[in-house]
Amino acid sequence: MITVIVIALALCAVVLFYMAVRSRRKQAVQSLRPVDLTAFHTLLDRDDELFIKEKLPRSKFVHIKRHRIRVAARYVARIASNASTVLHESERARLSPTPEVASTAEQVMELAGQIRVQCMVAIFKLSLEYAMPSLQLTPAMLVPKYQSLRENVRRLGDLQTQNAVPLANAI
Amino acid sequence: MSGQLIIHDLWIGSIVLQVALALALLATRAWRNFPAFAAYIFFCLFEAGITYALFENKKAYFCAFWICEAIGIVLGLAVVREIFTKVFSPHPALRKLATIIFRVAVIALVLLACAVIYVQSASATGLVNAVLLAAEAARLVEVGLIMFLFLSSSVFGLHWRQNVFGIALGLGMFAAVDLITVTLIGHMGSTTQLAFKLVRGISFSTSLLIWLGYLLVPERATSSGELPKKAQLEQWNQAVTELINR
Repeated sequence: MITVIVIALALCAVVLFYMAVRSRRKQAVQSLRPVDLTAFHTLLDRDDELFIKEKLPRSKFVHIKRHRIRVAARYVARIASNASTVLHESERARLSPTPEVASTAEQVMELAGQIRVQCMVAIFKLSLEYAMPSLQLTPAMLVPKYQSLRENVRRLGDLQTQNAVPLANAI
Repeated sequence: MSGQLIIHDLWIGSIVLQVALALALLATRAWRNFPAFAAYIFFCLFEAGITYALFENKKAYFCAFWICEAIGIVLGLAVVREIFTKVFSPHPALRKLATIIFRVAVIALVLLACAVIYVQSASATGLVNAVLLAAEAARLVEVGLIMFLFLSSSVFGLHWRQNVFGIALGLGMFAAVDLITVTLIGHMGSTTQLAFKLVRGISFSTSLLIWLGYLLVPERATSSGELPKKAQLEQWNQAVTELINR
């Protein structure tokens, strides 16, 4: 039995490495997708949810809440993907000879890293809420953090003369 | 061509590749950035020389081979540690969490390796089987940690530099294939040993080629070109607004 487990683990590793090579090729052209934070914020609004809960029968509420969670999860995935792209893009700026650019890039990377972690937490919370719709576990920190990331990326764009301004506009 | 002859040719081929890789490490000065990996490659070269010289003396060859394998696995783990540092050092926000998960993964894998040794120790009679079992446990930890590195960097959305990715990929492929061979070799008869040696030789040579390729080929520039179309954004917003107002 243990031999089967070990062999299975080794085969999983080979598959994982193959997938890593494939996804690396795809990453060569990264795409940024915008996030409408106002809409996302509305989706997470608990007062709104309470209102729906009071006005609708339970089965309808559960259906709508799950629908909202699915949409919110797509927003979170989009935020996570953009944060990853920002992390990658800022890595080059971090090595800039201009101290201000380098320190701003470091701040951007720090924020983007925090957002990636928070996205994981948010997905976990949303999964729990999906399983138990009566729960209320708002990923509240994500919106202000992402807003702050946008501002920092824009600041980095102002400091650099290259293409960080379109990057800030794109996320 | 007999199996033994193919294995011999593969062996010579891998020594040539190891010399080329060592020269590439020196020429590109990559050894400064990857001291553990450089030590691993130079040690593999040393191992190949020693075992080639002692090949006729079976007892000396056995001792030298397995001592070198043990040192090689320790150096392999040092390479994994080096890759972890390279991947996570620019990201202080993720490093702390990743370090905690890495430590948990190390503990879990060591426990799994202990379980493998405990379960199989009853049937592993003789020195050869005991050594194979130890090798299996060590490779299990190595493969698990490399898998952890790939999974965690994917979860955190980190981009690997080309040479770091190549080092991890080559080491991971070789360790995974070696794990399969050392696991199966203990359960199969001596007739299959030749096939396993062949597979191991091919996988090591493939890893050497991967390392050489990723060290020598210049990194491709990535582009974040695909800026969003405004119409798409408006459509999306409209859909969400409709959903909310429903």
